[in-house]
Amino acid sequence: MSIKFTDSCSFPCSSSQYMLFLVWLMLSFLPAWAGVTESHPLKVIATNYPLAYFAERIGGNRVSVTLPAPADEDPAFWKPSATAVGDMQKADLILLNGADFEKWLPQVTLSKLKLADTSAGFKTAFIRIENAITHSHGPGGLHSHEGIAFTTWLDFDQAGQQAAAVALAMSRKRPEWTSVLTDNLKPLLDDLAALDRQMKELTATKPGLPLLGSHPVYQYLARRYGLNLQSVHWEPNEMPAPEEWEGLRKILATHPAKWMIWEAQPSDAIVAKLKELGVGSLVFDPCANRPESGDFLDVMGKNLENLKDAYR
Amino acid sequence: MHHDFYLAWRYLSHHRTRTLILVACLSLLAILPLALHCLLAEGENHMIARAQSTPLLLGTRGSALDLTLNALYFNTTNPTPITMYEAERIGQTGWADPLPIYVRFRVRGQPLVGVTLDYFDFRHLVPAQGAMLAMLGECVLGADAANHLGLKPGDSLPTTPENLFDLSGVYPLKLHVVGVLAKAHTSDDQAVFIDLQTAWVIEGLGHGHAGDKPITQVSGLAFGQADSSLASAGKLITYTEITPENMDTFHFHGDPSSYPISAVIALPRDRKSATLLKGRYVDNEASVQLIQPLETTSSLLDTIFKVGILFDGVLLLVGSATLLALGLVFALSLRLRQRELQTIFLLGCSRAKVLRLVTAEIMLIGLASAMVCLILAVPVQNYAGDFVRYFVMP
Repeated sequence: MSIKFTDSCSFPCSSSQYMLFLVWLMLSFLPAWAGVTESHPLKVIATNYPLAYFAERIGGNRVSVTLPAPADEDPAFWKPSATAVGDMQKADLILLNGADFEKWLPQVTLSKLKLADTSAGFKTAFIRIENAITHSHGPGGLHSHEGIAFTTWLDFDQAGQQAAAVALAMSRKRPEWTSVLTDNLKPLLDDLAALDRQMKELTATKPGLPLLGSHPVYQYLARRYGLNLQSVHWEPNEMPAPEEWEGLRKILATHPAKWMIWEAQPSDAIVAKLKELGVGSLVFDPCANRPESGDFLDVMGKNLENLKDAYR
Repeated sequence: MHHDFYLAWRYLSHHRTRTLILVACLSLLAILPLALHCLLAEGENHMIARAQSTPLLLGTRGSALDLTLNALYFNTTNPTPITMYEAERIGQTGWADPLPIYVRFRVRGQPLVGVTLDYFDFRHLVPAQGAMLAMLGECVLGADAANHLGLKPGDSLPTTPENLFDLSGVYPLKLHVVGVLAKAHTSDDQAVFIDLQTAWVIEGLGHGHAGDKPITQVSGLAFGQADSSLASAGKLITYTEITPENMDTFHFHGDPSSYPISAVIALPRDRKSATLLKGRYVDNEASVQLIQPLETTSSLLDTIFKVGILFDGVLLLVGSATLLALGLVFALSLRLRQRELQTIFLLGCSRAKVLRLVTAEIMLIGLASAMVCLILAVPVQNYAGDFVRYFVMP
């Protein structure tokens, strides 16, 4: 909008020009006023990638989501330093997986009002692991899978409940966003329900098919989709010791599995040796940490495709 | 008329010492009750502010006063503990945010207060030195506690065993001081704050393991000097220390909902939520009670501040006596001025004129006193709060 100034004064002089100037002035300041009333992005910390993905899908650009575990570390065995705890204390919301995923939680001081346990709604459905073996791999060092199985999101129905808990926690922090968050949650729940349906359809083709798990992380997947799964404690990049191969042979004697499910692509040597035993290898990535490419749904879609090899 | 005031002014100026004494007497007489009331009101406000900022308090059924004094002022009276379940229950209603608090132990005379991080936000407590609690086994000190204990961030503070003769009791925990809080002029200044989880380690509900044995070390003359033979001989007190090396081994047994706390501060979202929440705890048979600390503290202060009425009575008596004395001073001064007044009369002034002159003098003295009172009232009103905060209830 152009304003005509007279030669005699450097300000709009007639009343209509003056009104126009006022309107222009008000319109110029409108974005600034709007900015004042707009709340700052919700700072969310998610302890694993599925929760971070849910928060990003539900919150969109209203939230800034951080996954504190380094990219090369399993968030389930990551431990926060005092600095990381300090960063978490500054967040508006901390999304916890629960089910014993955050083993470091009793050792740190965090605001209880900022914590949201996303699996609290299905606490009674947790799977307890007894007599687990203590072993070591990666930067997390010596660890055991004893306690409660924590890969809750591999049951896509439970993942949906966790996504709903994420939306609820965010709307409690920002009640004014409730309708937007609810709108964003719906397509996510639809996507998870579709995955759940596809998994059920696939596993229903060969019920009770014997399968092997390279690591004890598929408990909820096995329970939800009726997988007949027995797990060992192997790492994709570490050749198992001879006694572990012997142990596998014993398992195979009573559990004639043709496929072993891996968290990541195993080394060629392991694949070849397994092949000698008549066991193929397929990857079902739990996706606990942010994938190098794609997102949670992409990874789970790929997992589903990989699993089709076993059910073919 | 203004001639009367001129003559009165000249007279008072001439006898300025006597005039100043009279003005001072009258001013003090007026300002003293006002100042005293201001200070009493500020003292009451100061004491009540903490209760006022604590909307609802949940604790064991029994004395509401004990519960308030323990949870708000960290009094030595320890009410029967309740469990964390009560805090979770409040949170689950969605009507209020729960702030659990555990006040049971003391360290070298200072209250050791187990809280969650939310407590610091709620009370607006920020570290003046060092940092806020981050890991298990850390503590932050209130400003006065730091002075009293002579500690600063980086120092260690071993907890005090509850009973030295309890051989089966839990070992003291060597706390790491990570921060000193800015002065708040409340009971928080006296406290040593720890995370609730650290409080439960002190309680013996959580522990670490080194191999098959619980983590304890032996204290000699100084921490760090260890001799297991002395410990096994039972000659020295052992202590627990949480270090980055053994931190991972620390864990808790049992259901966290069953862990003890002394009270829960409930922060309702609005008035309706507060009413709904109060409705949940009206059952007289329940083991817990939900109280409004303001009511409890106000009734306590009402009793204490009845002394204010006594002050008023005393001031009334003193004031009356002073006024009588001032009247006597005036009467005597009139007698002393008998010759002077007679001269004025002989000069042709009527008795009414003499009376007007004396009245003008009294009015001028009264006016001067009122002005002094007004001048003094401003700092009294403005600084009564600071005076109480720094000198009466530091």
